[in-house]
Amino acid sequence: MKKASWVIMALVTVVFVVSWIAKSSSYNGETDNYIAQGFLVTFAAFLTLSIMSFLYKDNPFYKFAEHLFVGISAAFWMCMGFWSTIVGNLIPRLSSSLSEWFKVPYIESDYNIAFYVPVVLGILLLMRLSSKRGWLSRWPLAFIVGTTAGLNFIRYLRSDFIKQISATLVPLVVDWQGVGHFFSTFSLSASGQFVAIVTNWVVFLGVFCGLIYFFFSKEHTGAFGRASRVGIWVLMITFGASFGYTVMGRISLLVGRITFLFKDWLEIIG
Amino acid sequence: MTVHNSLILPLVTFHDVGMVVSLLAIAAGLIWLFIRSLKGMEVDRRIIFLFIFAAVAAPLLFPFTFSEKATPVVKALFNKVESLPPGSHVLLSYDFDPAMAPEVQPMANAFTRHCLEKGHKVIYMCLFATGQGQFEETMRDVIAPEFPDKVDGVDYVNLGYKAGNEGVLNVIVTDFEKMFPTDVNTVPYDSIEVFKGIKSCKDLDLIISIGGGRPGIKEWVLFVGDQADVPIATGVAAVVAPQLYPYYPKQLLGLLGGIKGAAEYESELVRNYPRFKDSPTPGLKMMGPQTLAHMVIMSFIVIGNIIFFTQRRRERKS
Amino acid sequence: MKYKLLIVSLLLLGGSVMVSAQTEAPPPDSTAAVIDSSLFPAPVSLLEAFDTDNDHGHAVTLEWETSADDGVGMNSVIRYEVYRWVPSLLDTLAALNSNISEIRGRLLRDEDLPDDESVLASLREQFDMVLDGLEAAHAAYPENGEWRKIGASPSGETGYSNTGSKERGNSEFLPDFCDLYYRVDAVTADTDIRTASVIVGPVQSSGQWINSGRYPVLWAVLIFGFLTIWFVRRARKGAELYVRPLAGIEAVDDAIGRATEMGRPILYVLGLGSAADVATIASFTILGRVAKRVAEYQTQLLVPTYDPIVMSVAQEVVKSAYFDAGRADAYQDDIVHFVTQSQFAYVAAVNGIMLRELPATNVYMGKFFAESLLLAETGALAGSIQISGTDEIAQIPFFIVACDYTLIGEELYAASAYLGREPVLLGSLKAQDYAKAAVIVLGTIGIIAANLDWTAFTSLFRVAN
Repeated sequence: MKKASWVIMALVTVVFVVSWIAKSSSYNGETDNYIAQGFLVTFAAFLTLSIMSFLYKDNPFYKFAEHLFVGISAAFWMCMGFWSTIVGNLIPRLSSSLSEWFKVPYIESDYNIAFYVPVVLGILLLMRLSSKRGWLSRWPLAFIVGTTAGLNFIRYLRSDFIKQISATLVPLVVDWQGVGHFFSTFSLSASGQFVAIVTNWVVFLGVFCGLIYFFFSKEHTGAFGRASRVGIWVLMITFGASFGYTVMGRISLLVGRITFLFKDWLEIIG
Repeated sequence: MTVHNSLILPLVTFHDVGMVVSLLAIAAGLIWLFIRSLKGMEVDRRIIFLFIFAAVAAPLLFPFTFSEKATPVVKALFNKVESLPPGSHVLLSYDFDPAMAPEVQPMANAFTRHCLEKGHKVIYMCLFATGQGQFEETMRDVIAPEFPDKVDGVDYVNLGYKAGNEGVLNVIVTDFEKMFPTDVNTVPYDSIEVFKGIKSCKDLDLIISIGGGRPGIKEWVLFVGDQADVPIATGVAAVVAPQLYPYYPKQLLGLLGGIKGAAEYESELVRNYPRFKDSPTPGLKMMGPQTLAHMVIMSFIVIGNIIFFTQRRRERKS
Repeated sequence: MKYKLLIVSLLLLGGSVMVSAQTEAPPPDSTAAVIDSSLFPAPVSLLEAFDTDNDHGHAVTLEWETSADDGVGMNSVIRYEVYRWVPSLLDTLAALNSNISEIRGRLLRDEDLPDDESVLASLREQFDMVLDGLEAAHAAYPENGEWRKIGASPSGETGYSNTGSKERGNSEFLPDFCDLYYRVDAVTADTDIRTASVIVGPVQSSGQWINSGRYPVLWAVLIFGFLTIWFVRRARKGAELYVRPLAGIEAVDDAIGRATEMGRPILYVLGLGSAADVATIASFTILGRVAKRVAEYQTQLLVPTYDPIVMSVAQEVVKSAYFDAGRADAYQDDIVHFVTQSQFAYVAAVNGIMLRELPATNVYMGKFFAESLLLAETGALAGSIQISGTDEIAQIPFFIVACDYTLIGEELYAASAYLGREPVLLGSLKAQDYAKAAVIVLGTIGIIAANLDWTAFTSLFRVAN
């Protein structure tokens, strides 16, 4: 390692230790395990700053934080899967002695021989680890893919297709009581008639031009091509809105992290 | 900005000075950036990160808040909670993890405040394993300090996390007890006061899913809302909000998109219930940094476009 | 049976007088004498009870005409209370059930209670016996039971749906295929002043095999399924099915040419999807095309993968493309290589390749998540031409801003059908096109219908829950 790296490493260590001591003393009296609490907050701040340091350039601190995160999350999800799926859902319905062993309440009324089916499928899925019996894991996979496809197909068709078509069938002239009435009560408020009419027209044109853009069986020329142009405009506006929302979301996350640094770690804001 | 009328107090506070100075510094920086790039010099991307950091940090150090007016999508949900008679059953599903929390935790807390204040019975559950920890934050920050008289099991109940994603929803739409034989403290379903008269999601008066990932509100709509005919609303991270608008208002009663939605709900809550005036409003507080950061980003877009067009014109001339 | 029928017909004839004598809710005799009989509201009329349609059973719907004193007349009715005849055995069941759950709770909290366990066993036995007798108890009407309030509708309402539990141990158990009896009371502000309706029954609830409210979904499935099979068959027979050219795909050929001129490699990223994702499958077809061109031009190709199964499929695809191009000698197994199954670690590795190898062209096709912008931005910084395509709607905006060409959503599938001419892909693409055309046509008619308040048409798209 270069000399500069040693200096930075030493500096970070010193800041870490000083922060740990300072945080622990500030928690002293509030909680019993104030030293651990001080360490946790300092370590969280260290990890936050390590990840943020990537914005300057890739560095060992970033790599450390990233690998720690990957490792911990993998382990967390594995434990979670075991305790919530196998211990939480399966064992209470399978055996009273096992339930007792894992200290979960046994659900007597739910006992059903069918619960052995997922056990067998689960074991078959694990056969993937064996190179010889690996093909057995395709059976549970086929089951998963088949049932999910079947369940989702109907639900999506209903919620995302038919119900969405039905939501598109909006009157293009809302509460029409004549031209005179329209102009005499003209207003730009969000609940006004004019805005309602414009909204419905935008929905109508947006949906149909968007569909035309995704129509692949015909060359996009002439009127069809113009509708398709409108369609791509609608899509781009949607993507723009989505992008704007994402910026807002990301800044919220940044605010969350900076608030943590300022409030919980440095205690410079209330 | 606050202006004090009293002559004894200084007319400007430290906060005001700090805010003005930081705003001026950011503005000056942007002008410097503009001139620099107009001269054709490269701008390091790290400078842009620095600007964003300053734009977010300054309003946190010297807070300024805006009054928010609820948009119809937010107002619809607020009015729904408001119009339900006390004792109605509202389900809050914590479908998020710590990574999404800064955006959606304020919503979860605001919903909790509103429902408990109205006297609704609140059922908490989560489709994300880490949602359990987020509920504990609500417990620590809202229920314990602000509603000490509300009793676990009588006024609210926490069912905790169950693995199975949409499978969980598929079961509770017809039978709660099958999926949640006990609550998170292993109290049997039958002896939980909140569940009196509640068999399944069909008996609930309102379901609010708070999240932004999968499983989340989309699954709630597909598996519960469209199935059981229960009003469903949501508070989601900003990233997914645009994809949910097609469901409003027929399949989704209301929608809070990102921190802006949270801020609108909070302001509506404070306006209707003065008792929450001093409660923390993280959503509203975040609108300061949001506004400034958005203004800086918009300035970047404007500067970038001006530079792009001037350069193109220059190239054409030469 | 005869006796039962006689009782029922007597009751029906006797009407409200008999009913009020039999129920516990209406006023006792002493108060009845005090209350002026003219204060009692008129009963509901034309009361009907029938099995709730399109359900799983265990539910009965009641309909009636409002009382003559609801809204009009004396205007004294404030609500309608619905009563059902419930055999007393259900109460025994509920009591046993609560005893059992109480003891179970005690056993859970405290492990050394041997007595309770034997009590529990005997309770269970009794419980099971009662369960077996439940259906028979319902048939014993009107003995060993009572009228119980099961719900209420506000005044002005003309219906109520009694949805019971299907669990036999539940106190709200409503058996299927059992005779059930109902009546509806018109209630005034003074709850003692009420008039019962005639008794309706027997009515039996049952579940239906087909939910006719969901026919629109069935039609959609059938029509779409038929179109898909029809076009796939046509494609298999070799019919010429037109697919319009796509800008992003045309650009791929140019980009490969550019890479050859510059002497730099082409990077192909298949995304994070599994080999079962449609987007990944579509990406394989495009990879085949790219690999063939690369082999012809003798350019270098890099395919870092995220999923081991995707890797083995991609290897096969690239290998056969090199064979097709007649350049089998140029094929190497490490063109397609495995990186890692951790999302951001994969991004870091691919970004490293971009900065070190400086590919002339980056192609991203498949399923992408939060890594989309990280990949595309690094590629843009490295100065590569970038072509992307994904069906993850949330990621498309990032690709659009950072890439030169983007295949939006379905265009990815279309591109793969266009390049591969695979009958299944081509057939389903055609079927989708026709479905879209149908939506446009039906939607236009629907909008006209909505404007003309022609509900017969718009209701075609109404799906029951």
